[in-house]
Amino acid sequence: MTRLSRPPETTPVVVSCCRTAIGRSDVNKGVFRKVRGDELAALVVAEAVTRGRVVPECIEDVVVGVTQQRAELGGNVARTISMLAGLPFTAAASTTNRLCGSSLQGLSQACHSIMAGAEDVHVVAGVEHMQHLPMNSEINFHPRAFLKSSRAVLSMGLTAEYLASSRGISRKLQEEYALESHRRAAQAADNGFFKNEIVQCPGLNDGGVLSVIDRDQSIRSDASLAAMEKLDPVFLPKLGSVTAATSAPMSDGAAAMVVMSEATAQRYQLAPLVRVLCTAVVGVSPALMGMGPVYAIQKILHRSGVKLQDIEILEINEAFAAQAIACVEELKVDHDRVNVRGGSLAIGHPLGASGVRISTTLIHAMRDRQARLGLAAMCIGLGQGIAVIFESMG
Amino acid sequence: MPELKATHSTLVIEKLPGDITVVGINVPGHKQNVMSQDFMQELKQVLTFLQDDPPRGLLVESRQSDSFLAGADINQMNAVWSLPSARLQELCDDGRNLLGMFASLPFPTAAIIDGVCLGGGLELALACDLRIVTENHKVILGMPEVKLGLLPGWGGTVRLPRLIGTGPAIELIVSGDAITGSQAKTLGLVDACVAGHSVRESACGVLKRAIASGDYLKRRAALQLPCVLNKSENDFLVATTGAAILGRTKGNYPAPMVAFNTIIQGATKSIEEAAVLESKAFSELAQTSVAKQLVRMHRLGERNLRDGGLGELSSSNSNQSLNINELQKPSVIGAGIMGAGIAARHVRSGFVTRLVDVDAKALRESIPSILEEAAWDRFYQRTDQKKIRELTGCLMSTTQLSSITDADIVIESVIERTDLKRQVLADIESIVSPSTIICTNTSTNPIATLANVFSDPTRFCGMHFFNPVRKMSLVEVIRGPETSDATISSVVLHAKKLKKVPVVVRDSPGFLVNRVLTPYLHESVELLREGVDPSRIDKVSRRFGMPLGPLELYDMVGLDTAFYAGLVMANAIGDRIDASPVIPALVKAGCLGRKTGIGFYTYKGTGHDTKIENINEKLDDLINPYRLVEERVTDEQICDRLFLPMLLESLLVLDEGIVRDGCDIDLAVIYALGFPAFRGGVFAWGDSLGATEIIHRLDQFSHLGPRMKPPARLLKHAESGQPFTSSKGNGSHTEKGCKG
Repeated sequence: MTRLSRPPETTPVVVSCCRTAIGRSDVNKGVFRKVRGDELAALVVAEAVTRGRVVPECIEDVVVGVTQQRAELGGNVARTISMLAGLPFTAAASTTNRLCGSSLQGLSQACHSIMAGAEDVHVVAGVEHMQHLPMNSEINFHPRAFLKSSRAVLSMGLTAEYLASSRGISRKLQEEYALESHRRAAQAADNGFFKNEIVQCPGLNDGGVLSVIDRDQSIRSDASLAAMEKLDPVFLPKLGSVTAATSAPMSDGAAAMVVMSEATAQRYQLAPLVRVLCTAVVGVSPALMGMGPVYAIQKILHRSGVKLQDIEILEINEAFAAQAIACVEELKVDHDRVNVRGGSLAIGHPLGASGVRISTTLIHAMRDRQARLGLAAMCIGLGQGIAVIFESMG
Repeated sequence: MPELKATHSTLVIEKLPGDITVVGINVPGHKQNVMSQDFMQELKQVLTFLQDDPPRGLLVESRQSDSFLAGADINQMNAVWSLPSARLQELCDDGRNLLGMFASLPFPTAAIIDGVCLGGGLELALACDLRIVTENHKVILGMPEVKLGLLPGWGGTVRLPRLIGTGPAIELIVSGDAITGSQAKTLGLVDACVAGHSVRESACGVLKRAIASGDYLKRRAALQLPCVLNKSENDFLVATTGAAILGRTKGNYPAPMVAFNTIIQGATKSIEEAAVLESKAFSELAQTSVAKQLVRMHRLGERNLRDGGLGELSSSNSNQSLNINELQKPSVIGAGIMGAGIAARHVRSGFVTRLVDVDAKALRESIPSILEEAAWDRFYQRTDQKKIRELTGCLMSTTQLSSITDADIVIESVIERTDLKRQVLADIESIVSPSTIICTNTSTNPIATLANVFSDPTRFCGMHFFNPVRKMSLVEVIRGPETSDATISSVVLHAKKLKKVPVVVRDSPGFLVNRVLTPYLHESVELLREGVDPSRIDKVSRRFGMPLGPLELYDMVGLDTAFYAGLVMANAIGDRIDASPVIPALVKAGCLGRKTGIGFYTYKGTGHDTKIENINEKLDDLINPYRLVEERVTDEQICDRLFLPMLLESLLVLDEGIVRDGCDIDLAVIYALGFPAFRGGVFAWGDSLGATEIIHRLDQFSHLGPRMKPPARLLKHAESGQPFTSSKGNGSHTEKGCKG
């Protein structure tokens, strides 16, 4: 066992997790174009509580990760999401922002609280509506913050271009990676592997007809290298290698889980899905933001004593194909163990929701494949990484 | 020891309590303080004196309103081009060493910036220990040297990165864009931004604190250090910025890349080593033809900003002072694309603008885009929402033409239908006061045809903006047969207030820009008819440096519009150019260009995202009835066939006295057509070939008929060897202000 074994009272466990299907952030075609982000979040929060058979009165805190905290997701939206979801007023709430790592951060801090013997039962969620609240609008970055860097690091796409060019990751390699992400995700969807994690949610189809949304909108069963080859580079016109096909799409969606101590789960006779073994965050050079997962994983392995080869399934968030390839290469990990059900390139990347989304997908894959250890890691804009290790309880 | 003289020809010295000396800059003979030779010499004398007889602190300020120092005196730069590289480097070293004296003075120094602070002026301010700007909205700071094909040569590339960081310094120097005082404060380029009335007191305060603490010495020492990024950040910056610059310059403009490399290399070195790199880079750039052309263009632009634009086109030909009105109350009639663009330009320039359109819906729909355009923040590349709210009150929209009674200038911009324009113009005249100036924005209607509806045609002229108005700097001010000089001069002044480049043109078909554009567009279709691939034609034109190829331009303008304009031109210059039968064939087939998604090419996407998808599949079938004998042409021949007719037409335009001189043509093709600035305009490009060579090249196209026949003016140039851009080369018109 790892050196992080602790008593049930301070061992965090996940008792339920679920997510919405992930919609495209498209004003005309996005399935959630007429659904507010806070409503999406409230839906999955309520569902996670129900699925976990959690007594609402015992929830002590609700932590929601959101990167664009304004308008419908503004003003400590965690509290209003909690109220929308019908949770009792006694559940506290806070909204957290570690950009793309926001909801994985929410999970981490909930676990830290449990480990410290502080607040115990948490709902952890994440939400983003990138169509209603586009990335980086109405943000006024201080130019002097980039004294030792450059403002170009604000463009995640350029950091991906940099990884591609500095590591010799060809456009073809990126496209093959993206194609594989779509193939895996489409196969998982077709085989019903997402059925248990996706909460049906009302939305609109392409034609504007009210529909039940239960399939990720960005997954393309018809993805092909031939179609990808035709796209123009987005971030470095003409010269670059990163295209829309090799970047995670803008997405709308939410995900939620319930976390508590193992002792509390036993007391309420709940059946936890996984234990959370360890968490880690790390800061890196902004230009290397895409490599954040590598450094976070190295740190978490060191901290937990877990060996990389013992982790059977990894979720490394795919912000860009070039970035995911760089991480897989640098970690020297077999791609077959990474993002086994496809990644954000296919499924979508609703920033604040993605941490709980990939954890949800990971936990379901771990259970389906009877894997003992799983790891979720993400890269974070302006140079950070975050990682969490889960251990099955089967 | 002798006292420091209180007045010099460019400097005023003042003593303040607390033993603070003030150096006030006042360079006579210029609207803006510039760093003339006199200024540099006197500054050196003063600094040398102060070194030996130090006060406790030094303030540098301007004694001209709204101007700190606008940089080097461009008029003195002509002598610089011919200097050998070593001498150029020395000149840089001299300037930099002079400014460097500030940094070694045994007391703190501060610059008060209450106006334009550009180029060498900013380099001087950077050499001071402290910089304080005022809230005066005329304050701008920047290093525009790359826009002249150069780089800051007096320590700007050395000091700026050390003060504000490598990345931000690169942005400022490589773009050449100026920023406001508050932006400079945020960047750390200046230490404070305060109200004008308290700036002296604030500056004295910070100086006294610096004197007391001695902190300025630590700061000086810190600014000597290299500016080091970690390897990843450095590599990232090099890779992304290098690619972005290449994307923008397409390799045609060396200065941004050279400036970028100089900053990157210099940042990690000692300031002495970095200075050597800078001088070397400056002297290399100063010897490029691109720099020469860009500086010439700058001076042509300056000339048009300074004078009334009339030259010998003046009807009176006398120097009597004209009654030029500074116009305050503009009205724009017509809320279409052009009218909206013109209104937006006015609002952006601070005019309370009335916009009239009888179509209430069109009017209402135009308003958001007008306000967004007017409130566009170039620095942050986005619409400034607060500014939109501020500007809302500057735009008054109405469907009632009768509401324009108090206008002092009315710009009619309704659709290009002569009868409608005549009606609207007559209505306008009946409503406004007798002194109101009335303009028409038209590209095809002769001014004379419209002028005869006026009872007082002296107050009427053309004011031709180019689409899109926000991008195209040129405005043709078209003199009708009876337009008065006062009207022309007032409209020219008004165009300048809109930050446009006005060129005064005589009334004639196509005026200036469309006239010289026509042969170029026409030739592209002739090449098509000879079986040349459309994308090859456009590629050759782009490689020459045009922003769009001729066929892409057709598609953008709209083939129906082009067809109509082509008819007007064919009537006028039909001995050389016919209306091409291909254009009406395309129009008939519904291929109108981008707006229908299909023209010479097919398009995908909408609005700004519209992109070429493919060549129109039907194009061959549409051209087939009009095929010409297939010619085998090289890319070089395609290039000559596109651009030489433009040059020939320009020579004829000069012959006909449509503009005052060739300088205005060079200016116009660059600012209205996107003719590559690095080539300096159509005549400067012609000079790079030489008249004899041009005749030789035209010879191989003689079978194409009169359009390739060398006009008399060209033969004269070949005979005399006189360049097109020399004063004599422009015939009776002198290139005033174009020569040093």
